[in-house]
Amino acid sequence: MNKAQRSPLFHISKRGSLPWYAVWGIRGGSLLVALVFCGVITSLVTGENPLQVYAAIFEGSFGTTRKFWVLLQNISMLLCVSLAVTPAFRMRCWNLGGEGQALAGALAAAACMICLRNSLPNWAVILLMIVTSILAGAIWAGIPAFFKAKWNTNETLFTLMMNYVATQLVAYYCVVWESPKGSGQIGIINPNTHIGWFPQIGPYKYLLNILIVAAVCIAMYVYLSYSKHGYEIAVVGESERTARYVGIKVNRVIIRTMLLSGALCGLAGLLLVGSTNHTLTPNIVEGRGFTAVMVSWLAKFNPIWMILTSFLLVFLGRGAGEIATNFSLNQSFGDILTGIILFFIIGSEFFINYEIHFRGSGKKEG
Amino acid sequence: MKKIIALLMVLVMVFALAACGQKAEAPAEEAEPTFEFDNDSTPFDVSTLTQDEVAKIKVGFIFLHDENSTYDLNFINAAREACEGLGLVEGQDFFLKTGIPEGQECYDAAAELVDAGCNIIFADSFGHESFMIQAAKEFPNVEFCHATGTQAHSAGLPNFHNAFATIFEGRYLGGVAAGMKLNEMIENGEITAEQAKLGYIGAYPYAEVKSGYTSFFLGARSVCPSATMEVTFTNSWYDPTLEKEGAIKLINNGCVVLSEHADSMGAPTECESRGVPFVFYNGSAEADCPNTFIVSSRINWVPFMQVMIGNVAKAQKLHADWTGTMSTDSVLLSDLNEKVAAPGTAEKLAEVSAKLISGEIKVFDTSTFTVGGKPLTSYEADVNDLGTFTPDTESIVDGAFAESTFRSAPSFDVDIDGITIIDQ
Amino acid sequence: MDNKIPAVQMRDITKRFGSVLANDKVWLNIYRGEILALLGENGSGKTTLMNMLSGIYFPDEGTIAIDGKEVVIRSPKDAFDLGIGMIHQHFKLVDVLTAAENIVLGLPGKLDLKAAAEKIRGICSAYGFEVDPDQKIYDMSVSQKQTVEIVKVLYRGADILILDEPTAVLTPQETEKLFAVLRNMRNDGKAVVIITHKMHEVEELSDRVAVLRHGQFIGDMPTAKTSAQEMTNMMVGHPVVLNIKRPEPVNPRPRIEVEGLTVRSIDGYLKLEDVSFTAYSGEILGIAGISGSGQKELLESIAGLQPVEAGSICYIEDDGRREQLLGKDPLSIAQMGVSLSFVPEDRLGMGLVGNMDLADNMMLRSFRSGKSMFTDRKTPHTLAETVVHDLEVSTPSVSTPVRRLSGGNVQKVLVGREISSAPTVLLTAYAVRGLDINSSYTIYDLINRQKEQGVAVIYVGEDLDVLLELADRILVLCGGKVSGIVPGRGAKKRDVGLMMTKLGGKSDE
Repeated sequence: MNKAQRSPLFHISKRGSLPWYAVWGIRGGSLLVALVFCGVITSLVTGENPLQVYAAIFEGSFGTTRKFWVLLQNISMLLCVSLAVTPAFRMRCWNLGGEGQALAGALAAAACMICLRNSLPNWAVILLMIVTSILAGAIWAGIPAFFKAKWNTNETLFTLMMNYVATQLVAYYCVVWESPKGSGQIGIINPNTHIGWFPQIGPYKYLLNILIVAAVCIAMYVYLSYSKHGYEIAVVGESERTARYVGIKVNRVIIRTMLLSGALCGLAGLLLVGSTNHTLTPNIVEGRGFTAVMVSWLAKFNPIWMILTSFLLVFLGRGAGEIATNFSLNQSFGDILTGIILFFIIGSEFFINYEIHFRGSGKKEG
Repeated sequence: MKKIIALLMVLVMVFALAACGQKAEAPAEEAEPTFEFDNDSTPFDVSTLTQDEVAKIKVGFIFLHDENSTYDLNFINAAREACEGLGLVEGQDFFLKTGIPEGQECYDAAAELVDAGCNIIFADSFGHESFMIQAAKEFPNVEFCHATGTQAHSAGLPNFHNAFATIFEGRYLGGVAAGMKLNEMIENGEITAEQAKLGYIGAYPYAEVKSGYTSFFLGARSVCPSATMEVTFTNSWYDPTLEKEGAIKLINNGCVVLSEHADSMGAPTECESRGVPFVFYNGSAEADCPNTFIVSSRINWVPFMQVMIGNVAKAQKLHADWTGTMSTDSVLLSDLNEKVAAPGTAEKLAEVSAKLISGEIKVFDTSTFTVGGKPLTSYEADVNDLGTFTPDTESIVDGAFAESTFRSAPSFDVDIDGITIIDQ
Repeated sequence: MDNKIPAVQMRDITKRFGSVLANDKVWLNIYRGEILALLGENGSGKTTLMNMLSGIYFPDEGTIAIDGKEVVIRSPKDAFDLGIGMIHQHFKLVDVLTAAENIVLGLPGKLDLKAAAEKIRGICSAYGFEVDPDQKIYDMSVSQKQTVEIVKVLYRGADILILDEPTAVLTPQETEKLFAVLRNMRNDGKAVVIITHKMHEVEELSDRVAVLRHGQFIGDMPTAKTSAQEMTNMMVGHPVVLNIKRPEPVNPRPRIEVEGLTVRSIDGYLKLEDVSFTAYSGEILGIAGISGSGQKELLESIAGLQPVEAGSICYIEDDGRREQLLGKDPLSIAQMGVSLSFVPEDRLGMGLVGNMDLADNMMLRSFRSGKSMFTDRKTPHTLAETVVHDLEVSTPSVSTPVRRLSGGNVQKVLVGREISSAPTVLLTAYAVRGLDINSSYTIYDLINRQKEQGVAVIYVGEDLDVLLELADRILVLCGGKVSGIVPGRGAKKRDVGLMMTKLGGKSDE
């Protein structure tokens, strides 16, 4: 060994637990760094004042009353799908099929609106929409769950594949139910009769969704933390062997939880079709089935924290979109910014779990 | 168990709300109503606008794709030309939103533009219409102008408008150029008169496309009487691969001159590599396809935008429909590619153009085509587009199909003799 | 010895894991030609210290010198270059490769298996190893795999060897062989460190002992000048009594009757073959055997966790009624009113949930009680507090995740929960594995108390010395068959060891 042998420039070691304020300090700090970084990038690309860029991000969510309502609506829809996938995640069952399950629900709801509009009264259509779309979502999740329980197939791949099936199915029905003929689009369903449209609470277009999802959020929190089912889910997630050891029927819990997961995704699809969009397109869920994975994960599968993480993701997405519009940039630029910010946020988890020792700092103490 | 209870909770909640909403709801059944047509073609002279009037204007645009689509590019260029011609600045006085899908995103984009202060908003794609109507209902103080749509006259909204142009005339001219090319090929002995077969790649089998290829065919047959045509559909507005495959299929079937109504460069590049002459749409392809491109027609959206923006600035009433014509410069032909076009084409095109403007030639003159071997004397087209496909308006007027007369968008959807639709 | 330059000098070594101080300014010398036993209770920082020497961790503070020269060890490769090799508790071998292939794996230069095999044979004959270089790892016994690991380290030129609890997986006979080899290495001038907490091994093998406690270096001394009692006191920090009670069984009655039990693993191997025995109330039935001889399958069959091919397992009530346990899952066994407790081998992977707190872990057995769809959190919370108090579990609170507890405390929590339901049968597998002395004696005590209350205890153990002191009868398993059942009192360790490797053991001689 020669004299150049020195201790490494830095070495990485796992941290114990950090106090909560340090954890959130690191997360907040990484968000700040991400915003600075995005500001710099946008300034470099557009030559705009970075402060204006931040103002645009903020305006994207809070610029007008309508934008604020849209923010709440988007949070509630993202939260709904996130809440849906969470019980499965707690069970360490990686349900990446939220997208497909929500689409299945949306398809069922749209089917009721289109096929039953001339034969049933409005309330009956709405009732059937609720039942069928929740059922459709549950079935869409139940199929992979059944295969996993029965033949131990990989639920990650299976649910992922089910997404593609659902997308293609919706694309097919978009052509079948196209209006006007030849457009390949369904357009707004029942724009004049409003059959199957969920009632609006006062002048607030999105309030119904927000209230329903808030209720689901609280119910999910209680279910996961205080119910026997929630406890079983936690045990199965931590260790299937422990679950068997105490006599929990693991396969039953897997199927039951996945059905719940799918049913809530179906609810998300129902709300999208019945309450806000009143249409069906293959991308009506807008990738929320995948964003939900991040929301759930960042919140450590805690439904209450998920309100915060889904707010964060929606806020960033809308801010990035606003930048793109205000500074005449391609819509994709917004996605790039969101990607950068997420990179920082997810990266911050590394600094929460590990610490880096630099060569200098260790020596001083020694 | 928990799940069922949660489900019940939601059920009860929505039930209660639904019950409240139910009373206010109108009964679902209604007979097909009649609507007033309000289709105008008057251009607007932007030089009459004062500075104050222009200052009040803020314009928003919603595009399905970005500049990579020839259709959207044509629209984007027009938006910039119309707005910059008035001295408006992009990002301050007018905003472009590209890549907006034909779904709820369109409504969201429109609402965003309203938030940004726009008082007139344009959307360029057919599938945007119902979402533009939704936005128009919600923001009655903002004018919504939707190109290629069909529902403005029936929607009952004073702030929602459709626009189109008599592009069938442009296609007719393109057809004339193609027919001249066929004649040249027959004369040169490359093909016999019976082999004078045209090929056409269409996006969707509905009126806008059918009207387009029929006028193209009628234009060609007006100079080459033995011409026939085959049509294939891609069922997509923009799909380079499918369009290319369509071109190959037609060429293999013996089509010697091609045209298309779809928005990518898929078919032209294939024609160029196989040396098959073609008539294009949306813009010139001479630069990319110097050896096969003949001519192209396109809609110039600038006059339409000037009409809408100008009347809003002057606080004048807008018509439900606006149809650009050759005389408003809304239908343009590109420069003719002399290298490919048959000799004398330019002169012939100038002659036919003049006759179209004067009304001496009507594209859908019922004496020039037959349906099922018989001339068409009466035809009810589906002009009131209500989602269902019901003929409602007698469209044979004065011995010709009255295209883009009642409403701006085409409504000619008759399959005439001489055109074969393959792969149906 | 004092005038020699130490092969390794560790000075002021400090290592933190978050807020946990794993090593606190530790000084340690390792000499050539000497076997050093590094002693300490669980969590005292032995393994951490050695991991820093072998390049797995990097010390936060302190220096390491090899042969008097200060060095920096950044990676296992650095350690190898300095001649330091460590044999971990969990072997790091590729199953489908041969011994020779595993040994040369990752070495630079051209692959010449023939030459390598030659060199391996040379090393083997020099120290007395028995390794076939061409044998596949998956065909090897645990002891053979360990030998391959040691040869691998020697092949790479290590002259400072560290072995982390090497005897935990070996039979007495295999341990003897290993010790002989280690002595040969010492005589060859190599420095050998073994991490252990088995007193008799320290006394038998080592030249010097060094004791760590709570991450601090307590002292070192020649083995000859100390005693098991003194070493134990140093490790624990206070005097402890080192003997196990064995009260006579009171009024034993048949409780579990196993007949012709045959079990196959999922891939079709026979794990148990025609096993028959009876376990009595008020008695501890010890199960001895090399690890993997069917102990796990035996206990799990009784607990209703293992699909069984043939045989019968009867539970006999006090009034003589017999209940067939076979084909029932744990839930239905409990619903039949059979109070059967099971302390499995894998505490955090089966018996407890590591990420849940003490109270939630108590709930594992009881969460179904009550008709409400919500769990009753109060009763388990109270139980957790009782267990913490009665068994002296050292934990910040009952809401601490059990994975944060030390091994001994984890086991107390698990045993505490299992005996809280007043069982009539108690199954335990390796109840003291990895536990320090203090905790081990607490567990023996708990088990004895259960026995005194008339519980039928089945105790699977690995330490024969303990089994011989604790169990009333010992059932020896060999390759899934019953090799014999001997009374615990008066049985000879050597005989039981032989029965573990050969059916019937003694009779073959």
